[in-house]
Amino acid sequence: MKRIDAIIRPNCLDAVKDSLVSIGVEGMTVAEVRGFGRQKGHTEVYRGTEYSVDFVPKLMVTILAADARVASILEAIAKGARTGKMGDGKIVVTSVDEVVRIRNGEHGDAAI
Amino acid sequence: MTEQVVGRPERHFVSVVTLLIALFIVGICGPAQTCFAQSPKPDPAGIATGDRTSVTDAAGNPFVVPEPTDKTAPDYAAAKKSYDDYQAQAAKEPLATKLADGVGHLRIGTNFAWTLNTGYLVLFMQAGFALLTCGLVRKKNAAHLMMLNFAAYVFAFLAYYAVGYGFQFGAMAINSAPANIGGTPTLNHFLIGSGSWGWLGGKGFFLSGPAYDAGSNVLTLFEVVFMETAGYIIVGAICERITFWAFLLCELFIGAFLYPVFGCWVWGGGWMSQLGSSWHLGHGYVDFAGSTVVHAVGGFCAMALAVILGPRLGKYGKDGKPRAFPAHNIVYVVTGTFILLFGWMGFNPGSTLGATDLRISVVAVNTNLSAVAGSAVAMLLWYALFGKPDITMACNGMLAGLVAITAPCAFVSPTSAIIIGVLAGALVCGGVLFFERVVKIDDPCGAISVHGLCGWLGAVSLGIFADGTYGSGWNGVGAASYLGHAGQGVTGLLHGDIRQFWVQLGGATLCAVWAFGATFLVFFVVNKIKPMRVTAEAEQQGLDVPEFGMVAYPEDALVTVDY
Repeated sequence: MKRIDAIIRPNCLDAVKDSLVSIGVEGMTVAEVRGFGRQKGHTEVYRGTEYSVDFVPKLMVTILAADARVASILEAIAKGARTGKMGDGKIVVTSVDEVVRIRNGEHGDAAI
Repeated sequence: MTEQVVGRPERHFVSVVTLLIALFIVGICGPAQTCFAQSPKPDPAGIATGDRTSVTDAAGNPFVVPEPTDKTAPDYAAAKKSYDDYQAQAAKEPLATKLADGVGHLRIGTNFAWTLNTGYLVLFMQAGFALLTCGLVRKKNAAHLMMLNFAAYVFAFLAYYAVGYGFQFGAMAINSAPANIGGTPTLNHFLIGSGSWGWLGGKGFFLSGPAYDAGSNVLTLFEVVFMETAGYIIVGAICERITFWAFLLCELFIGAFLYPVFGCWVWGGGWMSQLGSSWHLGHGYVDFAGSTVVHAVGGFCAMALAVILGPRLGKYGKDGKPRAFPAHNIVYVVTGTFILLFGWMGFNPGSTLGATDLRISVVAVNTNLSAVAGSAVAMLLWYALFGKPDITMACNGMLAGLVAITAPCAFVSPTSAIIIGVLAGALVCGGVLFFERVVKIDDPCGAISVHGLCGWLGAVSLGIFADGTYGSGWNGVGAASYLGHAGQGVTGLLHGDIRQFWVQLGGATLCAVWAFGATFLVFFVVNKIKPMRVTAEAEQQGLDVPEFGMVAYPEDALVTVDY
């Protein structure tokens, strides 16, 4: 089982969601996050004083997947989120030890 | 936990101080009121206010012709004839004079309604200022800002009820009787001073006795909301680091003493208003709706407190350069500004104390002209300097224009109103940058620049731009004629009255010195006895939870209460 965390541009959420749903993904969690990479932030002026806005708003989409499905999910996310410019984001895949469905206690792949 | 115990000593301190102040006041004021039993009777039911003597025509000529008393006056013969004619006609037509009693009562009633309703508009400005200042600070202090604005209304009102109104207007009938609302004849004694040199009023404490009067209560309602404006102005400069107990002391100080004293000098018939009679300085010091009495008093009081408190943690870096703490809610800032603009339609036009004074329309338009000119200049100036129009400065620019026109609004032309707004917009921009970068006084909402500097500018502008079309007989000067013209009103430098300019310049500057000096003296001592600033930990956390135990917004709720 794998956990896929995709940091994407906020305006790409609908495209990523549609793309994932079209390959059969049935669930995802979205969180609002801030961050920077090579895109960097920028400076603004407030009442005459400069300040840096280093952290750019992004969304983190989290999906749990069986090992066999990971590759197609990565491709679907990238298709929906890619603009070709700096700031498109990153996808991280980590291994998951256990997944439990709270409603009925199912474990493992059955719980995904 | 020790954090909970910290709140208790402050509460006891405030309660004890308040109790001592109340006892002291009752001690000196109780006997003072009973000594003057032969004054006019107060009219609490309003059944003896407004009669034929209240009736005037559009030009202000009274229906009841007064008997001329000065036999040596050049127009004595004509005046005596007018008086005799009136007496003869009144004897022949008793129904007409009875009707005049009804007309007079109606006129006073109209003006009561006007003054009270415009007062309610000014009261609503409390909400505007609360939104404005809350939006301008960091989210972690949102509840603190709201509570400061709220508690300001509560405690300053109580202080004003106890002694402030009596100090400010206790002698109103002597030199400044408000004819539009019946003259408040029972408020006729100076506690300190007399005649043209009154320093402090001495009737109407605890709004009882002479102040338990229908006309006096109209004045009370209208004037208390003006005092409240000065009271909440300080919030803009002292927020995000002042303890609640210290803030309550500030409000009691403003409501009981700082505001009413200067207010007596200018509006209560005190010495500044009489400088036209006593020292032949124009019409005396004039401030129509309170650029200095309200705004500069608040602004310079705020400045003194901001100096004593020091800047917010992290506001200035090790290199001394200022850091930005951006507003957390621009929606509140703009909405608040609009509410203040709306309320100002009560603040300025209401200051005629009567709908029968038809200058109210000119006042209303002038007020708006200055507001928009100030905002336009601030936006364009900021565009030119920094490439984007700062929304908070656009709002401050509008408020600057409003503050600056508050003194001269009744006395100037629309063109002058625009010019005053332009000057105010430029001044507030310069002031904000100056205080932040040069003097390094941390003023989160720009209160010192908007209210202090532009309040001063407003009073001085009156001395420059007043064109004489309104205000004939103001402060008892030149009722028959002024500068050689019958009906000439308050006039400024550009229209031939340099002495008016000097008294305005001097008076406005005195206001700044008074507000800053008295506040600094008192609170420097208070701060030495017990520091008025919150702990560094509380300030870093944001004052919402340490001072009030709650957050402002549901998404930040500390405890989820979904069952």
